[in-house]
Amino acid sequence: MKKSKIFQLALLLSLPVSSYSQTPDPGSPEMADLMRSNGKIYVVVTVVSIVFTGIIVFMLMLDRKIRRLEDRRSK
Amino acid sequence: MLAKIQWWKWLAILLVFYTVVAGFLIPVPRLPILHESIRNLFFHVTMWFAMMIMMIASIVYGIRYLSDSDPDNDLKAEQCIRTGIFLGILGLITGSIWAKNTWGAWWVNDAKLNGSAATMLVYFAYIILRGSLDDEHRRARIAAVYSIFAFTMMIVFIMILPRLTDSLHPGNGGNPGFGTYDLDNRMRTVFYPAVIGWSLLMAWITEMRIRVKRLERLQDELH
Amino acid sequence: MGVLICTGLIKTDNSLIAQQIKYLFLKEIHVEWKQKYAFNGLLLYVIATVFICYLSFKQIIELPTWNALFWIIQVFAGVNAVAKSFLQESRGLTLYYYSIADPRAIILSKILYNLCLMLVLSAFNLLFYSLFVGNPVENLPMFILGMLLGSAGFSAVLTMISAIASRAGQNTTLMSVLGFPVLIPLLMTTIRFSKNAMDGLPWSVSSSLVIILVSLNLMVVALTFLLFPYLWRD
Repeated sequence: MKKSKIFQLALLLSLPVSSYSQTPDPGSPEMADLMRSNGKIYVVVTVVSIVFTGIIVFMLMLDRKIRRLEDRRSK
Repeated sequence: MLAKIQWWKWLAILLVFYTVVAGFLIPVPRLPILHESIRNLFFHVTMWFAMMIMMIASIVYGIRYLSDSDPDNDLKAEQCIRTGIFLGILGLITGSIWAKNTWGAWWVNDAKLNGSAATMLVYFAYIILRGSLDDEHRRARIAAVYSIFAFTMMIVFIMILPRLTDSLHPGNGGNPGFGTYDLDNRMRTVFYPAVIGWSLLMAWITEMRIRVKRLERLQDELH
Repeated sequence: MGVLICTGLIKTDNSLIAQQIKYLFLKEIHVEWKQKYAFNGLLLYVIATVFICYLSFKQIIELPTWNALFWIIQVFAGVNAVAKSFLQESRGLTLYYYSIADPRAIILSKILYNLCLMLVLSAFNLLFYSLFVGNPVENLPMFILGMLLGSAGFSAVLTMISAIASRAGQNTTLMSVLGFPVLIPLLMTTIRFSKNAMDGLPWSVSSSLVIILVSLNLMVVALTFLLFPYLWRD
């Protein structure tokens, strides 16, 4: 329950950020993602977010397992 | 069960998630040579900042051990240094890749790079020193003394010497610091949370390792 | 003379650490003078290494190589020198001396002794190096200053590391593993300074390097001074 709330909060935070996007600017140093910025960058962000969420879930499970061991030990 | 997870761990998750998303989407200054890779600021530089924080934590615990000889402090100090070494290795690898991309070579003769490599060697030597001692109290005491020495050397190698000599890194050797030309306010909104977030995440990992070692120690004492 | 030194140490129990340092320092020299074989061994090491360099290079034309090799020989000779000075003490005598003297006096006297040892070694190093391979140094006084500062730095760092390693089982490998990373920046600064001396560059160019060297030395000595008593608690 709490975890999904956090996730929603994170998504909310990222929404205003995603409204920024690189606009082409002639005459300035070439930014390699002028093409990607029109859609593909979000694929990258999604992939990385999924990877990161997976790692965090794994860490939370580890934390829970250690907590169980500690509780058992202290009984 | 999730309710028992401390607030700072949730904060770590939040901040790093924010970094990971905003780090790619936020508009960044358009600079030659660096192009998009300036976003590496949120991932490579934060590794080194987190390492510094870990090492500071470890000498705090080391000094505490020297004053009260509580083996728990020594345990914490060691785990902080191990995590710090892990972060340092990550920093070196990511820095190397970034260097290949922007400066043209995997390694250049730069004061900060050499300094950071020397720092990693110093801390590897710490691990070897710990491995060569058997008596717990002696090991803890000698390791604490060496870690204070190592930390001072690290400050000298990474912060002081590069500023005094020529360096390719921004902020050292005559190049203006990151703050003056390309860490503009937009990047700061991601960079500072990133440093805090990554450090908290690494602190979480360290805390889990400490808890596991404590359990192992209890296990050993029973048998 | 040993008896005199012992009574001197006991008498100065309540007086300044400086007195103890003086006595301990004299004791180290005295011990070394009786059995010169350690010193001669180190001298032979330096000569042999210089000779091998000569045979490998025949004539070193490039200045950076000359400089770098000189300092590498110096580092290895120094590591050996300091390792020997800690290893050759017998357990019982060590315990006796150190039960009546302040640990900080002990470590400072050792640092001083190692400093003198390294200066002598570096003088011989330079001598034989010049004999075999030539001496292209243009600003000799500055070079000698570099030798002095470098030897001081090496001595301080190596003595501290050697003290740590000796508590961990008197293992020379451990001393090298601990010592080399810490020596790297000191070595780099010293090499750069002596390179400037070799090229005959004016003083102003190297003044910052001198400041770095001096402050590094002071910092290491201060750290050692603070931390050594903790090592000695056994």
